[in-house]
Amino acid sequence: MSEALRELGNAIKAAHPGDIDEVDVRLGELMLVVKRDSIVRVLKHLRDDPSCLFKMLVDICGVDFPERAQRFDVVYNLLSLKHNRRIRVKVRANEAEPVPSVVSLFNAAGWYERETWDLYGVAFSDHPDLRRLLTDYGFDGHPLRKDFPLTGHVEVRYDEEQKRVVYDKVKLQQDFRSFDFLSPWEGMTRPLPGDEKAKH
Amino acid sequence: MAEAKIKPMTINFGPQHPAAHGVLRLVMEMDGEVVERIDPHIGLLHRGTEKLIEYKTYLQAMPYFDRLDYVAPMAQEHAYVLGVEKLLGLEVPKRGQYIRVLFDEISRVLNHLLNVPAYAMDVGALTPMLWCFEQREYLMEFYERVSGARLHAAYYRPGGVHQDLPAGLLDDIMKWADQFPKIIDDLSSLLDENRIFKQRLVDIGVVTAEQALDWGFTGPMLRSSGVPWDLRKAQPYDAYAEMDFDIPIGKNGDCYDRYLVRMEELRQSLRIIRQCCEKMPSGPHVSRDFKVTPPPRGEMKRSMEALIHHFKLYTEGFHVPPGETYTAVEAPKGEFGVYLVSDGTNRPYRCKIRAPGFPHLQAIEFCSKGHMLADSVAILGSMDIVFGEVDR
Amino acid sequence: MGVTSLGTPVAPGPVQDKLLRSVTDELSDKGFVVAQLDKLVAWARTGSLWPMTFGLACCAVEMMHTACSRYDLDRFGIFFRPSPRQSDVMIVAGTLTNKMAPPLRKVYDQMAEPRWVLSMGSCANGGGYYHYSYSVVRGCDRIVPVDIYVPGCPPTAEALLYGILQLQKKIRRVSTITR
Repeated sequence: MSEALRELGNAIKAAHPGDIDEVDVRLGELMLVVKRDSIVRVLKHLRDDPSCLFKMLVDICGVDFPERAQRFDVVYNLLSLKHNRRIRVKVRANEAEPVPSVVSLFNAAGWYERETWDLYGVAFSDHPDLRRLLTDYGFDGHPLRKDFPLTGHVEVRYDEEQKRVVYDKVKLQQDFRSFDFLSPWEGMTRPLPGDEKAKH
Repeated sequence: MAEAKIKPMTINFGPQHPAAHGVLRLVMEMDGEVVERIDPHIGLLHRGTEKLIEYKTYLQAMPYFDRLDYVAPMAQEHAYVLGVEKLLGLEVPKRGQYIRVLFDEISRVLNHLLNVPAYAMDVGALTPMLWCFEQREYLMEFYERVSGARLHAAYYRPGGVHQDLPAGLLDDIMKWADQFPKIIDDLSSLLDENRIFKQRLVDIGVVTAEQALDWGFTGPMLRSSGVPWDLRKAQPYDAYAEMDFDIPIGKNGDCYDRYLVRMEELRQSLRIIRQCCEKMPSGPHVSRDFKVTPPPRGEMKRSMEALIHHFKLYTEGFHVPPGETYTAVEAPKGEFGVYLVSDGTNRPYRCKIRAPGFPHLQAIEFCSKGHMLADSVAILGSMDIVFGEVDR
Repeated sequence: MGVTSLGTPVAPGPVQDKLLRSVTDELSDKGFVVAQLDKLVAWARTGSLWPMTFGLACCAVEMMHTACSRYDLDRFGIFFRPSPRQSDVMIVAGTLTNKMAPPLRKVYDQMAEPRWVLSMGSCANGGGYYHYSYSVVRGCDRIVPVDIYVPGCPPTAEALLYGILQLQKKIRRVSTITR
């Protein structure tokens, strides 16, 4: 299975020289990393080429890696009913430069791109209707970014005097308890006091 | 007389509307009674599930999946635990797989038993609701007996299920399965050839196979357009490869076909439920990898190691090796997928939930354009929208 | 005779028969009965609580179960109305988000007095499982005044039923003609 996937990945890469940075098969899933400007071209190939026929765009989502210069991954999951295969296409992005929209290829992309814009702030060029989708009317910020606090910035209450629902700064009775469970035996990256002596 | 140009009227539908199936707001532009444009406003139930999951351990995040599509809770859990198992490389014992398939199908029956009568109620029939909810009560009792909760079970675990089936449950499920076909037959005799029901549904919201693929439809929505695609057959997970069942498909892709597909799926689910009960293997219900699953109570009282495992598991949780996976199951509404990114710690780095209702609802404008206002309610009902999963 | 203690229901049987007969006798003899108006009003209110169908999230499923076959709210005179203007009780069933808060208040404002609010489930009571989320109201009592809180995630149909009975008790206890 994964041999066939690797072959398919290499064939796609050969068909688009210079557009695809990386081909990888892990856990039996094929993944491509595509240059941002080539995404429409590559997805069109994936949709129409007889060896691919990934006719269904299953999902688009963002992933945030704040330490990278191109901090966002935009992940496209596609499905081929004909060949019974899945493929994952990734594009690296940042806040400033928009990703070309694929609404012209898949109608399903419309809301997924709106959602990614809403939650991560990745802009999509040529999107017909790039508005916020899930968050509140007049919401400020992009909540799924790693630097956005879990509890957000505002909360609502009904104001008796103004006779309407108003927004206040968030005030918690008790903070979210976040424990550092990373034990010193596994996964510990932070040096403990005294570690520097052990090295000498 | 000169023809007057009539400005389209804008109608606000919802968010509090009994036919909106939750908290949907539609801003509709109408030409008389014909829908010209729909702008759905969703997110009125956006609870930030994906963000919260990033702050919880893998085990603590599991119950969020019950609360997505709250009409068929266990099917969502299944996608998540399969994803975690894939990242961990964990084997599930046969009994665990069978129990999960059994409860997946019970969830499917639960879902269709809510969707079909709610749909019938949208177009004017009240009786199916009362009949189906009686059956739903029985099924929720089964939920309660295995997990302790009627609705939000939190029963599946990475590696299997939380507890073994209680004594006598399989017999009772079989007893239920014996009387259930009559209910389906009664329901179809009431609705299938009902004149009003057919007038409201036939040739409403027709979607061709090409369009269904383009809009990302899955589940009964795709199958009613004549595409024989079901993940249980195409990419079988757990014990589905050993089950004998058929995939119903529609011909016309209209609202009536979607109803018929769901009715037939009830019958097929019943077949799977019977097979699970008959073939239920013995053995452990959960993996014996005690880094991931809790050790048995008895062992904890004797073995120091088991005690440490238990303590570590319920404080720190388990660490999942770095990697990413997209895992999907055939939930009652369509393909429910979880895209899980792990960075090697005890919490998911990113968990994207792919809800089947999301692309369906997206297509409401495309489906309802040119139909009457009342038809858009029928189309909405046929899409089987639950806002817990659409808004997340 | 004439004034009965309307606060405590009388179980069916000879005692109830006697009571009912005495009322009908009085009515046929004199053409009227005397009762305390506030108690009569409270009795009428408790006997026909009309909640609004306002399912927000998961709890709505349990709310539907309470109204349907097995638990059958109709026998308490409780009948779901789709419009806020016809209903007395609002059951906030499910997670209330920031985006939904203004519509919820608007619907509450549209309800006619006297009106009661029943908060159902942990999310409506205080945010529950979603307490720390950026988009969830930490308790629907920040938006509307709540009379009864029903705990659970979700509360079982029995629990909701018990909550409604508690609400009836509360109405009997504190209800006045003008509220």
